[in-house]
Amino acid sequence: MIAHRTEGSTSSRKLRFVALGTVLALAAAACGSNRGTSSTTTSKTPSSGGGATAPVVDTSGCPTANDTTGVSGDTITIGTSLPESGLYAAFTAILKGEKSYFSYMNAQGGIEVPAGSGKKYKINLIAKDDAYDAAKTVTNVNSLINDSKVFALFNTVGTKNNLAIRDTSDTQCVPDLLIASGAVQWGNPKFPWMLGSELVPYPLEMQTFVDYLLKNKPNATIAVLKANDDFGQSYADTLQALVKGTNLKIVQTQGYDPEGSDVKAQVTSLAATKADAFVIGGTLLACPNALNAMGDAGWKPIVYMSGTCVSKVLLGIAGKNAQGVLSVTSLLDPADPVNASNPAMQLYKAQVKKYAPDADTSDGIVAYGWTTAALFAKILSLSPKLDRGSVMNTAHTVSGVTGVGLQLAGSTWSTSASDRFIGETFQLINYDATAGHSNPVGPITDDNGKTAKLSPAVLLNS
Amino acid sequence: MSLFLTQLMNGIGNGAVYASLALALVLIFRTTGILNFAQGEMALYSTYLFWYFTDRGLPVVVAILAAMALSFIGGALVERVVIRPVEHSSPLVLVIVTIGLFLALNSIVQVQFGSDIKTNLPRAYPKHTWRPGNVQISADTLVLVGMLAVVCVLLYLLFQRTKIGLAMRAVASSSESARLSGVPVGQMLMFGWGLAAALGALAGVLVIPQIGLQASSMQSILVFSFAAAALGGFDSPVGAVVGGLIVGVAEALTTQYVHALNGIVLIVPFGLILGVLMVRPQGLFGRRTVERV
Repeated sequence: MIAHRTEGSTSSRKLRFVALGTVLALAAAACGSNRGTSSTTTSKTPSSGGGATAPVVDTSGCPTANDTTGVSGDTITIGTSLPESGLYAAFTAILKGEKSYFSYMNAQGGIEVPAGSGKKYKINLIAKDDAYDAAKTVTNVNSLINDSKVFALFNTVGTKNNLAIRDTSDTQCVPDLLIASGAVQWGNPKFPWMLGSELVPYPLEMQTFVDYLLKNKPNATIAVLKANDDFGQSYADTLQALVKGTNLKIVQTQGYDPEGSDVKAQVTSLAATKADAFVIGGTLLACPNALNAMGDAGWKPIVYMSGTCVSKVLLGIAGKNAQGVLSVTSLLDPADPVNASNPAMQLYKAQVKKYAPDADTSDGIVAYGWTTAALFAKILSLSPKLDRGSVMNTAHTVSGVTGVGLQLAGSTWSTSASDRFIGETFQLINYDATAGHSNPVGPITDDNGKTAKLSPAVLLNS
Repeated sequence: MSLFLTQLMNGIGNGAVYASLALALVLIFRTTGILNFAQGEMALYSTYLFWYFTDRGLPVVVAILAAMALSFIGGALVERVVIRPVEHSSPLVLVIVTIGLFLALNSIVQVQFGSDIKTNLPRAYPKHTWRPGNVQISADTLVLVGMLAVVCVLLYLLFQRTKIGLAMRAVASSSESARLSGVPVGQMLMFGWGLAAALGALAGVLVIPQIGLQASSMQSILVFSFAAAALGGFDSPVGAVVGGLIVGVAEALTTQYVHALNGIVLIVPFGLILGVLMVRPQGLFGRRTVERV
């Protein structure tokens, strides 16, 4: 390199400029993983009294009474925001399942609301991409509510993303239904316009694993890997609360940046503790990457992995390192040949093949989308009237729902004013890497009504 | 001690990836004075090409070479078609153009190849972990470090021992003088971009099968590579390599030993850049520009 440059001063300035640009870009990247902001609200707290029949949402403070926005002729327009691009783009599989179900129902003439009335409605689902960025979720949801005039938000993905839109949903009285996250904040009584989906609430996942350990290894040491966001924190916080008073001990917790999926250094550190148990509170690629790093380290703990990772596609990446991994599901495993003759499974596979030919029907994430759409249709059909308040109240007071989509045989889904969680009956499963599907461990767990009790109050009301 | 060495190896493995991409950044910065924010996405596109070829049944090595060759052509075309028209604009315009390229490529791969995670990426070598004295050394780390070493030697030979390398150095030091001496500056710039793209492609096809191929696979890697290049000096290939290794090792050791920074280890390259830029704005190995008054 020659030190004397004719354009010396320009290029020096340029260098400084680009260096500044780099720092700014890095700052932007680092700040991308913003956490859900905590917020307060004063309006429309749930009516007191509770009970199965008392309405959970009070529409008296809403902009419009008996709001039927989004219902036009025989079409109900609903909206969803989810990552269709970026690190979490694999969740697009959810949309494929949802769209297949609604297309199937629309081809049948639509959903009867209320059941028995003879009046059928078709569903028009508008999906917007937020790349799992909560700021984009807010923009999307504002546009869905104000421009597209959707009736309700449906299965919007992500903990921090839904936390970011809850004020909007609450002040505008737009149902944020069947949220694709098992966080317990959806049970916060201050925000009655939200309800989680049939995903197993994260505290129940932790409770199930703690029970398993107490039975099989009561003095176990536990190492925890968590995504460094509200989602991962849900696992870490509830686990910490649950091991209190037992002989179980958390020896180390490592967080990873949810904007990436490289967890090798974290797992190397956890493996060095030689803990008896390993909890993976992460999602998507972080799950198989953690299992592979664990295998590389020659560490053989009892592994519990987030229910959001139950997918043949994801666990396939980990190969034999995924052998015996425990998790929970509230759905039938579409990869398990045992379910192949089940009529619900046959319907699911045939319709997804028809309406989303590029989707992998054995992927549990597609099955989740299908089932959540079916649950939405079920709630609509149970609603006595088709307005936002009635549908929201119906969603909060379903009882003994069975046979929806790929719901596990023998499980029932219920909610009430005092129990705001659906996915409380579920199955503990372990993964068989050779066969490429999960097997049930023991009977179905029925924890109906337990989520709120098991959750740290500070998390529930945050 | 074995834990320290294992984390050191983890860090060196990641560091080799950061270094490779940082080298590509430096190649482009030296010849055109542009910070190529699209470098990671160019490598991503190359890796999707690699996946496409292997998915169609091409042997792994052939697929790697084909992806690198196409990337070389693609990189050269990007320089000619996208960069050349704005070459003499303000740095701000150039930054915006490369960021635009970044966003465009990221969207193109999703439209062209689908947004699902590609799981069937083959490796060019068998997966294995050695454990001498409880220290884990994976084949991944060895291959990445080996690749980096070979690339460094080849680049050195290219720049110091060939005519084309001499011409590129001439363009880098003063494109005006080079043009007056009959060096085809335009072609050299295209060659530089092509080379950087091929280098990024090689890094991509070796590292992405370890972490999974999806549209954002390269983004966090790019952040660390920028950190590496800023640390080492944007005009210094040696700096890029050393910077990459420092950033990789710092990241791994922070994860292991600084629990207070749990989950926010990004702060480490950040802090390093800030510290270095404050003391030595040109980076550890960068040349200071001297001005004659």
